[in-house]
Amino acid sequence: MNRLEEELKAALQREAPSGGFTARVLARVAERERQRQRSRRWFAMPILRWAAAAVIIIAAGGGFEYHRQVQERREGEHAKQQVMLALRITSSKLQEVQLKVQQLNRQREEREQ
Amino acid sequence: MVFSVALHFLRDRMAAEELAQDVFLQLHDALPGLETPDHVRFWLRRVTGHRCIDYIRRHKHDPLPLEDVAEPSSPPQNIGDPMLRRRLQQVVASLPEKQRIVVILRFQEEMDVDEIARVLAMPLATVKSRLHRSLAVLREKLERVTGMSCV
Repeated sequence: MNRLEEELKAALQREAPSGGFTARVLARVAERERQRQRSRRWFAMPILRWAAAAVIIIAAGGGFEYHRQVQERREGEHAKQQVMLALRITSSKLQEVQLKVQQLNRQREEREQ
Repeated sequence: MVFSVALHFLRDRMAAEELAQDVFLQLHDALPGLETPDHVRFWLRRVTGHRCIDYIRRHKHDPLPLEDVAEPSSPPQNIGDPMLRRRLQQVVASLPEKQRIVVILRFQEEMDVDEIARVLAMPLATVKSRLHRSLAVLREKLERVTGMSCV
């Protein structure tokens, strides 16, 4: 070990915290445990359990209802698009048939003349 | 050990005490999973090292610039000189945080580079190069400040 390393070892010797450190840590541990117990006790009250359950059920029900509405809207849009497509196809077919009928009528008239 | 690592790292007694208390609070929760005293020691070093680095990043403490390390009236020459030790502590505190923690674990905790690599979850080569670089920087800074040769 060279001189710098020896000096570093000396400079970085362990230092102790100020007196009462352990007591301060234990006090914080105890305080935190008290807080945890308080919150556990608070949640252990039957009315709060029911309230929490109600909130969860309402939230889940609301979510389900919203999902159902979105689904219905999507299906409605899809059906509408299919109807529009069918109408477009039908109208073009009708036009074709109408042209054919007109053509046949014209040919018959020509033959009769 | 926890307080001392934090103190050498942060150079702030109050912050070091707060950090050390937080580490022991965390230890209280983690204790059921720690089986041996060696495991506890390893855990304490790892958590303290990471918390020190996090603390500096959260509080954005700039490393102490070398210019803040005042010139001594007469350069100290003896090993064990308290003024030289104080200067060394200041110069260590001016290192980038990852180099600083490696130096503190190496010279305060007297850990070898393998242990440091395991504790800080760093590759061995990274620890070696950080230590090497830190010592070169420390040597250069100290020679500049004190005018003494550290080789």
